[in-house]
Amino acid sequence: MKIECEKWKDQLLEAALTGTTAKDLEEHLKSCTKCSTELAEVRAGKARLDTLLPLIAQGAEPQADFRARVLAAAGDARKENRAMAWRVWTLAGATAVVATLLMVGLVFLRRNGPVVPQEELAAAQKLAEWRAPSDGLLRTPGQEILKTMPRLGKSYLNVPVKTDKEE
Amino acid sequence: MTGACVSALISKAVAPETEAGFGERIAENQRRVFQIAYSVLGNAADAEDVAQEAFLRAYQKFTSLREAEKFRAWVNRIVFRLALNRRRGHGRRLARDSAWQITEARTMVDGAKYAEQQVLLDQLRREIERLPEKLRSVLQLSLVEEMEAADVGAVLGIPAGTVRSRMHTARKLLLEVMK
Repeated sequence: MKIECEKWKDQLLEAALTGTTAKDLEEHLKSCTKCSTELAEVRAGKARLDTLLPLIAQGAEPQADFRARVLAAAGDARKENRAMAWRVWTLAGATAVVATLLMVGLVFLRRNGPVVPQEELAAAQKLAEWRAPSDGLLRTPGQEILKTMPRLGKSYLNVPVKTDKEE
Repeated sequence: MTGACVSALISKAVAPETEAGFGERIAENQRRVFQIAYSVLGNAADAEDVAQEAFLRAYQKFTSLREAEKFRAWVNRIVFRLALNRRRGHGRRLARDSAWQITEARTMVDGAKYAEQQVLLDQLRREIERLPEKLRSVLQLSLVEEMEAADVGAVLGIPAGTVRSRMHTARKLLLEVMK
């Protein structure tokens, strides 16, 4: 193709694909043998493409027993699902039984468990409330001071201020 | 609920009429579904695997896919997605049947012409692989039997007009390299 004919390249492809030729291309073809030959080649290429393209997907077929194999696989999947459902429900049932037994056991133990004598309870209470005498020594003065908020102009610590007379 | 009750419910869900209905749907769709997978994967063994997987998924949802049209649209979409996933997963390791294997013993009348056609077919496959994905998907689906622009659009989620325009661009690019 001549360099000046390059601009017709796209129109030639369109003409071959759509089967219609634009007016300006038609005029050009009358005077350009190169482009006429190119158009004939592109049209032949298009015919070849039309023959080949359908073979891309339609050249192969599934095997004759495809349907039977899919149905068998579906049957297997169904059995597997059923077995899985059995397993899940068996596990759920066993869990429910164990939980019920535990609850019953707990209720039984609460009702019939060992009774603690009143004296022992009183002793335990006393023990819980007992504080060592040295606990008071462990307190810091800061804890008492921080309990109250000082007024404006006052301080947390009550430090005696010496007057001039005292000095 | 006891185990026996559950088993009864499952059996009810896959009653014999379901099985028969599903068998019918396979018969109606198997050729197209296989071809969609084949157009993406390029080899019969992988295409059959993917087609089978698509039907098994459809079987699990069969109660909601009883209508023939619904089933057809759903299985078209699923097999295309599964085939794309497999191709992405396998990458370059995915073997392609050669044109010789596919159309073997179909037209052995004119040996030379047949040989030339097979060479061109292999070349065309390579050129399709080089197309941008948007164009390649449209082309591959449009080449499958019974796949109209609307069907292709439904699989790809694009309007039928876009399918036609992409198909035209794809054919133009192929023509340019194959002329």
